[in-house]
Amino acid sequence: MALKVYADRMSQPSRAVLIFCKINGIDVEEIRVDILKNKQYSPEYKAINPMRRVPAIVDGRFKLFESHAILIYICCAFPGVASHWYPSDLFKRSKIHSVLDWHHSNLRRGTVGLVFNTILAPLNGFPSNPQAAKEGEKLLTRSLSKLEDFWLKDGRFLVGSSQPSIADISLVCEIMQLELLSEEDHDRILSPYKKVVQWIEDTKSATAPHFDEVHGILFKAQKRFRERMATESVKNEVKSKL
Amino acid sequence: MAVKVYGDRMSQPSRAVLIFCKINGIDFEEILVDISKNQQLSPEYKAINPMYQVPAIVDGRFTLFESHAILIYICCAFPGVASHWYPSDLTKRAKIHSVLDWHHSNLRRGSAGLVFNTLLAQLDCHQSYPQVVNQAEGILLRSLSRLENFWLKDGRFLVGGSQPSIADISLVCEIMQLELLSEKERDRILSPFKKVVQWIEDTKIATAPYFDEVHGVLFKAQKRFRERIKTQSNLKAKL
Repeated sequence: MALKVYADRMSQPSRAVLIFCKINGIDVEEIRVDILKNKQYSPEYKAINPMRRVPAIVDGRFKLFESHAILIYICCAFPGVASHWYPSDLFKRSKIHSVLDWHHSNLRRGTVGLVFNTILAPLNGFPSNPQAAKEGEKLLTRSLSKLEDFWLKDGRFLVGSSQPSIADISLVCEIMQLELLSEEDHDRILSPYKKVVQWIEDTKSATAPHFDEVHGILFKAQKRFRERMATESVKNEVKSKL
Repeated sequence: MAVKVYGDRMSQPSRAVLIFCKINGIDFEEILVDISKNQQLSPEYKAINPMYQVPAIVDGRFTLFESHAILIYICCAFPGVASHWYPSDLTKRAKIHSVLDWHHSNLRRGSAGLVFNTLLAQLDCHQSYPQVVNQAEGILLRSLSRLENFWLKDGRFLVGGSQPSIADISLVCEIMQLELLSEKERDRILSPFKKVVQWIEDTKIATAPYFDEVHGVLFKAQKRFRERIKTQSNLKAKL
């Protein structure tokens, strides 16, 4: 029986789980939970994940949510998964746990704070919160700095590894959400961090062609958002001249 | 060689690691990193944890931070630790991972946000941001609701456990930080959640006498804060 993965490819942790399953040839049935249409609030989905978030999996009778827990579960439950994704060595594994834990309150919180308050909220009719966006960017920049100077200091991949682990997929999918910003903001924020930029490329290569395929929806959204923002700014310019 | 545990008993995750080590008879050396004196920002501590946070451990040449990673490491590295703390059964273990992950952006975020901003505002050393406090309380209440109705629905302990796991110690230590609020506030927030209140007691009992011993510093601070607020409000009443 295929593993059911409930996901929305606009969600960073959903993408991480999907890419990981595909690169490891896991037999998966992807079930879309459209968060823009609030499908995560349906009674059917509440029965899968009462926290009403994506992703979640159902493996036979076993249900699980929280992407890091899911990634670890897949590594342990499916024998074909190569060991570098979640090494059995206790020290390496612990370091992977520590960066996955650090992620929640640092990279993720910063990225979500910035992207939601800069792009997603205004374009979807929610009130804008520039203060929250500013704080998000500050936290994001501190997190990128820690990635550059610490988490990537000893190897091509996180925590000194020469091969990717589940932590690389999770954190890189988070950073990819910055593609929803304007090109200018995206480059301004990321370009100072050379190791981070290289690591993103290395992770993409290591999970090709699935990384790009799963990110297809994000890039379509990026195109729509950037066109819309360009239209908005032309309108504002015209208004200011009248 | 003893494991070195760098912590501050005012820090919720530090307490979780200390209680866990004590209840399992781990040979460790506790090294205080006093966050009220910003000792976590010292160059010596930066060499242990470049994120400048507590707790961290040093086991021989191995350094580790993030309390959940530390708790899991101790379960795996020390053979005397009973299996209920971190069961080897894959599905039980996965459920423990999921509540530990959920904790970061929910219970911890709500509780730490509320306590930090309430205390700072009350002690007049920080501008009061009622919106921040309200938002944090909202997250905390939702999280307590999830604990009451989901995480504790199938057993005395989290994720249906009849015995405690590392997740119980971690999350209960977080909720204990609410002891720093006024008695009225703490009771207002917690008392609607009967299962949660019982679970806190069950976890204390399961880790006695270390739970109360490690929380000693917190209760001393509670006494000081509550007296200070009482003095301030008496003064204000006279003006």
